[in-house]
Amino acid sequence: MGRLLVIPLALIVMLTGALAWSGGGASQRVDFRFINRGDIITLDPNQMSYVQDIRMAYAMWEGLYTYDSRTYMPVPGTASGCDISADKRVYTFHLRHEARWSNGDPVTAGDFVFAWKRMLDEPGDYTYLHYYIKGAEKYVEDAAAHRPVEFKTVGVEALDPHTLRVTLNDPVTFFLDLMAFSPFLPLHAKSMEPFKEVDARTGKVTYSQHFTRPPHVVCNGPFVLKKWDFKRRLVLEKNAHYWDMAHVKSDSMEMVVCDDRLSQLMMFDSGAVDWLAEVSSDVVPELLAKGNKDLKSFVGFGTCFLTLMVKPTYLDGTPNPLVDRRLRQALAMALDRNQIVRNITRCGEAPATRFIPPEIFQSLGWRSTPGIDFDPHRAKQLLAEAGYPNGGRLPGVKYVFRSGIPLSRDLAESCARQWKQVLNLDIPLVQAEQQMIKQMLNKKDYALAASQWSGDYNDPSTFTDKYLSTSINNDAGWVNAEYDQLLKEATKEPDAQTRLRLLEKAERILNTEVPIIPIYHITSQYMYRDNLKGITPNPRLVTMFKDVEVVK
Amino acid sequence: MLRVAAWRLAQFPLIMAVLYLITFVFVWVAPGDPFQRGEKQIDPIALEALRERFHADRWYEFLTYYPWQILRHGDFGPSLQYREWSVNDILKSALPISVTLGLFALTIALVLGVLVGTTAAVHRGGLSDTFSLAVVLIGISLPSFISAAILLAVFGGKLKWFPIGGWGSFSQMVLPGLALSLAPMAYIARLTRVSMIDVLSSDYVRTARAKGLSRSMVIWKHCLRNAFLPVLSYLGPAAATTLTGSFVVEKVFSIPGLGQHFVNSIQNRDRTLILGTVMVFALFLLTFNLLVDLSYSLIDPRVDLQAKGT
Repeated sequence: MGRLLVIPLALIVMLTGALAWSGGGASQRVDFRFINRGDIITLDPNQMSYVQDIRMAYAMWEGLYTYDSRTYMPVPGTASGCDISADKRVYTFHLRHEARWSNGDPVTAGDFVFAWKRMLDEPGDYTYLHYYIKGAEKYVEDAAAHRPVEFKTVGVEALDPHTLRVTLNDPVTFFLDLMAFSPFLPLHAKSMEPFKEVDARTGKVTYSQHFTRPPHVVCNGPFVLKKWDFKRRLVLEKNAHYWDMAHVKSDSMEMVVCDDRLSQLMMFDSGAVDWLAEVSSDVVPELLAKGNKDLKSFVGFGTCFLTLMVKPTYLDGTPNPLVDRRLRQALAMALDRNQIVRNITRCGEAPATRFIPPEIFQSLGWRSTPGIDFDPHRAKQLLAEAGYPNGGRLPGVKYVFRSGIPLSRDLAESCARQWKQVLNLDIPLVQAEQQMIKQMLNKKDYALAASQWSGDYNDPSTFTDKYLSTSINNDAGWVNAEYDQLLKEATKEPDAQTRLRLLEKAERILNTEVPIIPIYHITSQYMYRDNLKGITPNPRLVTMFKDVEVVK
Repeated sequence: MLRVAAWRLAQFPLIMAVLYLITFVFVWVAPGDPFQRGEKQIDPIALEALRERFHADRWYEFLTYYPWQILRHGDFGPSLQYREWSVNDILKSALPISVTLGLFALTIALVLGVLVGTTAAVHRGGLSDTFSLAVVLIGISLPSFISAAILLAVFGGKLKWFPIGGWGSFSQMVLPGLALSLAPMAYIARLTRVSMIDVLSSDYVRTARAKGLSRSMVIWKHCLRNAFLPVLSYLGPAAATTLTGSFVVEKVFSIPGLGQHFVNSIQNRDRTLILGTVMVFALFLLTFNLLVDLSYSLIDPRVDLQAKGT
């Protein structure tokens, strides 16, 4: 017995040691806690693209403009205002003299120049938004081709510490909205100096993203990041140097990391967190049916659709039947989207016939017209015209859906069933992992797949640009000269309303030419109790933490 | 024994190096890209810049950079998904948590498993045998995402005896520890029971009893030592898997351990992190197998590691 005891004893000794090693780090008192849409991928505004990251960026940094927490329209932030030239191509921003970094340094025009130049030197997901600025695209291309570059050629200039002049290629009617968006946030150069990395070969300067970790990170927004325990929590405290500190309602907040949907709900129910910034689509239908009053469901900023590869041939050279518009229209008309949102998605989605959710740009004056709706009779006619009077198989056409997600399988099966019923078409279903699908779409190595697109900024071009013939996100391989022309005219158009008309016309072409079959407009859900104020649900899922507080 | 241990230890680097290369091949040929995230395509120029910066443009660039960083500085490089954190940072923060939780679970599993298995063997066919069968069945057949969710819903949600997930206090460790211990506990109970039944019918047990030793003395002192050997050989791999964390249990209880990274890093094609986690797992597996082999000779003097053929 004696020797056998060695094992449990050793285990206990090791356990005690391990307990000390793994450390406690219990959470501290904060004004409110929430669970974000997912864990943080990065807090470097230069590289971020996920909603959860951008949400935190707005707590930590503030652009020249920021969003009003009720209307989500751009309002002056670090800048107190700007002058816009008559041709709407030159913006002169006046920075607030009282704007400060969290270490007390004044926020200057140079900080914006630094951050925006870095956006071009270290291109990230949203660098393309800087291409509206004169010379920016050429700068990035030249740098990539190892040609000499000079930032002087780019239309960003600090006239003095408090004046920033930006020159654009075209009148960008939504430029102030972009000024509030995360790719245009300023950065504090001095605190990033220790994280500078110079490539020995090329002499290229980059910054390690470690600079965003406390205690190094210096911010100019309403909050400062105090603690970041990887995969555990982020703790933020009010920035004592923030220019509008008097209007920051909470002193501290904590983002709790929890990936499991059921645990999230239990944490919310037990009061451990005040806000769930995403509710799993597995539980939303049940909560909606029960009429849970803490669940807030609202219009999302995107659309779920089927993407159709419309190039004349597949990658292997065989002809693609989907090149025929009538066939694509027939597929679209055979789908009853009402049935899909009622029986499959069940999160209050609106059935879609348009690419752009019609409500989201209504406040700008957007008025779009419905696209191709459910019409089984006409669908059969079109299919016959396209040469398939008896249905059957479409050579090479398979429907690819994402594995591991019940919803994507259900949607695929429902579409296949409806095509069979209405058109007697047999479309085989194939499942693939998300990364595989993404690669297939990128290479145009597919025929039919479910996809989704969410916009980034408050302008319809965040949707319409996707189907420019030159766009890297044009998964359909769809080329339409009139569409391209309308979008080009829109970029040159200084009048906001006239421009919207052009884009509406373009969307109409997209909706009827069917490189995509819109299925439904997505919805988003939050959960919070009535005592949490300041979280106004909005399609873009922007949160202005400045206004968030728990009322006791 | 020391010589054997030293020889086995000397083989570690070679095994790890081969494993690194094999894993690298799989990681590299897998379709997808660590820098292509989300539903949108990234600008080819930005993509190229990232690949260059993280030495991930060509396979030989990767292989001529990262392995030398590991050898020279013990640095697994930056995580390609969580670029604020190096793989070392992630391992340093996640591994202790998984090891603590795993040790806790293993202790529960070992103590309860041996107890249940022995009692079942002694009262073969009786009530406690049936009970042990139930424990084994539940432990082996109930997937951990169910047992973990039930434990959390009942003891965390309903009864509020324990906090709902998180890490930092002992009370937060109890439920995930239990959930994690179920499967190994069941195996241990099963192994103990079977070998105990074997041992109980052997001659020396009868002799011991005949010489007047008490029943419990015979069982716990003489039988268990022999009956324990199969459990011991199971303990090596079990320790390696338990101590490196469990994806499901960590997810359900929001524990920032290493288990999640085994799955997520592959989904994210986070090549450096995949290689880092695989190396850690391999090191654990090798170490625990070695420890188990060494402890054989400690418990059972008949085992001679230096004998021919071992």
